[in-house]
Amino acid sequence: MPANKKKKYTVTFEPSGLKVTVDEGTTLLKAANKVGIYISSICGGDGYCGKCKLVVDHGEFKTIQTGLLAPDEVSNGVVLACQTKIFSDIITTVPKSHDLQTGRILIDSNRTKASDAATIDPLVKKIYLELPKPSIHDHTADHERLYLAIHDHVETDTIQTGLRTIQKLSHVLKKSDYKVTVTVGHRGGTTELIDVEIGDNSKQNYAMAIDLGTTTVVAHLIDTVVGKTLDTEATYNSQINFGEDYIRRIIYGEENDAFDQLQARIANDVNELIVTLTERNRVDLSDITACVCSGNTAMTHFLLKLDPTGIRREPYVASADFVPPIRAAEAGIHINKRGLLYCLPSVAAYVGGDIVAGALATGIYQTDKLTLLVDIGTNGEVVLGNKDWLICASSSAGPAFEGSGVKNGMRAASGAIEKFRILDGGQIEYKTIGEASPIGICGSGLLDIIAQFVTHGIIDRTGRFADLSDPRISEGDQGIQFQIAPPMDGHDEIAITATDIANLMRSKAGVFASIRVLMASTQITSDDIEAVFLAGGFGNYMNTRHAIDIGMLPDVDADKIHFVGNTSMAGAKMVLLARNALETAESIASNMTYFDLMSHPGYMEEFIKAGFLPHTDLSLFPSVKFEKSKKT
Amino acid sequence: MAIPQVAQNFAGSVTEVTLGATAENGGTRTSTVTIGGAKNIVHAGTPADSAGRKPVIAMDVLDVAPTDWPDELMAQYADVADDPAAWAKKCVEQFGADMICIKFDGVHPDKGDKTAEDAVKVTKDVLAAVGVPIALWGCENNDKDNKVMPAVSQAAKGENCLIGIVEEDNYKALTAITLADGHHLITGAPLDINIAKQVNILVTDMGFPAEKIVTFQSTGALGYGIEYAYSIGERQRLATLAGDKTMAMPMICDVGYESWRVKEAKLEGVPEWGEAADRGPMWEATTAICLLQAGADIIRMRHPRAVAMVKSYINQIWD
Repeated sequence: MPANKKKKYTVTFEPSGLKVTVDEGTTLLKAANKVGIYISSICGGDGYCGKCKLVVDHGEFKTIQTGLLAPDEVSNGVVLACQTKIFSDIITTVPKSHDLQTGRILIDSNRTKASDAATIDPLVKKIYLELPKPSIHDHTADHERLYLAIHDHVETDTIQTGLRTIQKLSHVLKKSDYKVTVTVGHRGGTTELIDVEIGDNSKQNYAMAIDLGTTTVVAHLIDTVVGKTLDTEATYNSQINFGEDYIRRIIYGEENDAFDQLQARIANDVNELIVTLTERNRVDLSDITACVCSGNTAMTHFLLKLDPTGIRREPYVASADFVPPIRAAEAGIHINKRGLLYCLPSVAAYVGGDIVAGALATGIYQTDKLTLLVDIGTNGEVVLGNKDWLICASSSAGPAFEGSGVKNGMRAASGAIEKFRILDGGQIEYKTIGEASPIGICGSGLLDIIAQFVTHGIIDRTGRFADLSDPRISEGDQGIQFQIAPPMDGHDEIAITATDIANLMRSKAGVFASIRVLMASTQITSDDIEAVFLAGGFGNYMNTRHAIDIGMLPDVDADKIHFVGNTSMAGAKMVLLARNALETAESIASNMTYFDLMSHPGYMEEFIKAGFLPHTDLSLFPSVKFEKSKKT
Repeated sequence: MAIPQVAQNFAGSVTEVTLGATAENGGTRTSTVTIGGAKNIVHAGTPADSAGRKPVIAMDVLDVAPTDWPDELMAQYADVADDPAAWAKKCVEQFGADMICIKFDGVHPDKGDKTAEDAVKVTKDVLAAVGVPIALWGCENNDKDNKVMPAVSQAAKGENCLIGIVEEDNYKALTAITLADGHHLITGAPLDINIAKQVNILVTDMGFPAEKIVTFQSTGALGYGIEYAYSIGERQRLATLAGDKTMAMPMICDVGYESWRVKEAKLEGVPEWGEAADRGPMWEATTAICLLQAGADIIRMRHPRAVAMVKSYINQIWD
């Protein structure tokens, strides 16, 4: 039977009521993707993460049993969306746990002080010019007349203009009585005359700074005339349906020939943010003349539709680390039709523009002080150095501290436990974001839990529960767990499982092992480190002392550690507002030395050593003291 | 020209450990052994200054008659295989064992599933039959060991035995009872120096004294991973010498079991490999001597001829 004779059926997703028509035999996950419904899926549809649970209310389907569902789930009609093919019209309910939490994605980036140092010299600027009119004594052509005037305002060797702009030039000049606003953009060594408008529109110049994260996308709307952030907005990266980490997405793209789809998703996310921000602030899209994106190497590849497949295969080489400015429209980004898109340069396949932005924003490249920059995202990247040298590495730390791969883990949003401590009497105290009833635990809360657990002997130094007779420990659906909060207000209980702790331990071990490899390679000890910048999506609050207690950061004085939030965004904004900051970023990217941990002989050993609380070599953590286990 | 004597002094040394308690220390042993004390790597420095105590041989006695031992090995114990006390006596009196290691194979759920009472009886019988210090080695099934070994430890209370093994994922029950009964403890790790160190930290976190620990890094026989066992032993010694107190324990190796399960040690009817009766003991002795050079302090062994060869080697090097 020819393939195109396949029957078509309608899938209805409750409670949204969204419907989609698909071929017989399509999986529910593909159907959900088609209609744009977010179903959590870490493995990208390979059937081993067990996250993409749906309830089929009505209809015929065939599902492959995976053993990832509990017996009571199966009897209640729960299926894995990626393993379930439809054979009739289907009505299915998407559990609430898939809902993307809105709110506190980390959008603040004003904690880095370096950002206000540079004077404003935006990448794309508008200049109002009143030109001398041609006369019998002045035969200079309109085009060259304009160039002469621009040269008075912009330091540049070469100015270039597209034919379309030249074609309309004379008309605009004559109509405006030689009083025009020119938009000029910085393109490498040359300046492009992007547009010519009648009259003075030079005060209406805006730009977007975008933090292109694997999990979240953050946008800031910037008034480039005064150098001020007008508004911010964030959303989840909708590529998440194709895998929660970018390696899964590359595999998905390769296997399904879906890089167009991946590109469209991210471009669409960015466009939606831009529309939200421009509408809310009554800014005309055509007045947005530039967009700066800061993302890891893979995200930048997805956006520009560069071939990312080399990133995941030995010898781990990207298509491009440095991409020249392009027309934003070429990447499907809707701003001014001739507006420019700049992507921060990468260092290597696993150290991207987001880290270069972090190095720029924290000023690590210009300080005398030996500084460590640690950015905990879906990966854990580490930069060490000062104004004379910079080295970096990336560990596949995993997204545990972003709340992924943790039973009740969640992003920093309303209802997330962001602070946790154990009181002297042994009772638990926690605080949620927005003081809401707890629905999960975000990165800072997870960090607190591990640190407090080991300090109070609830887990031993391997991360295993020390005393299984503790009444708060029980056997849950995902193995042994410790109850953090009982069920309340219609929400399930919040617990942390032995597996969660093991994942968090691996994550912190990956980060610290990377730090150790960089330190050992340069024969640097903790005492030599003068400042530590901790960046990332833990939440808005962070107990840096706990990062030492669990052995994620080296044992330095706590006052040397600065939690700096989203440095990827901070760096993107600096570049946007200062042409020389882009040059600095390029010089950082080309001068930073990359250590490939996958081929580093000492990394695995460091990783094993770091898989202990705080570390196998206790002499590295003299300030960390735990209560000895009381059980003898 | 004479070769100059190059002496190197290190910050650390291997902890000296005395096993067994005589009557004056509240036990019933007629002899004790003291091991450890090395201040250098094996063969380096002058023996008097840095070699430390002589390594010792602990001969294996099983709580159940072996069913899978090669004929050559079994022939040595055919008369005593069903009687651990007589077996132990033979090892000490005829083969010169410095220690006896009771290996509780028979309590393993898959190898007889004997009870704690059975294990206690074997322990008491062996303690009564011989005067040398005793090591008590579980069946390496965590659940079963956690049931049986506390009873065994209790039965041997006051005798200052060596009890094992505790590992990263199962250390609490045995550490607690060993501490309570005043024995020494063996910490085990799967040929991973970092995990070995982690286990030592975990048990000392429970209040177990570091100076009463003996480490077991896992053993590989000649041709079957000996290089891993050797280099881990060497790394432990180097860490000790560098002053790492969490690694400064004496080390035990299980040479008997590992050597006698390799095909070269037991295969018969291969004349070009030499006499089967010689091959096994040679394999065991060679493995033992190699690991002694890495820094082993106690060697668990099985064949009397291998024991004789290794004792001869120890006496030549350490005396």
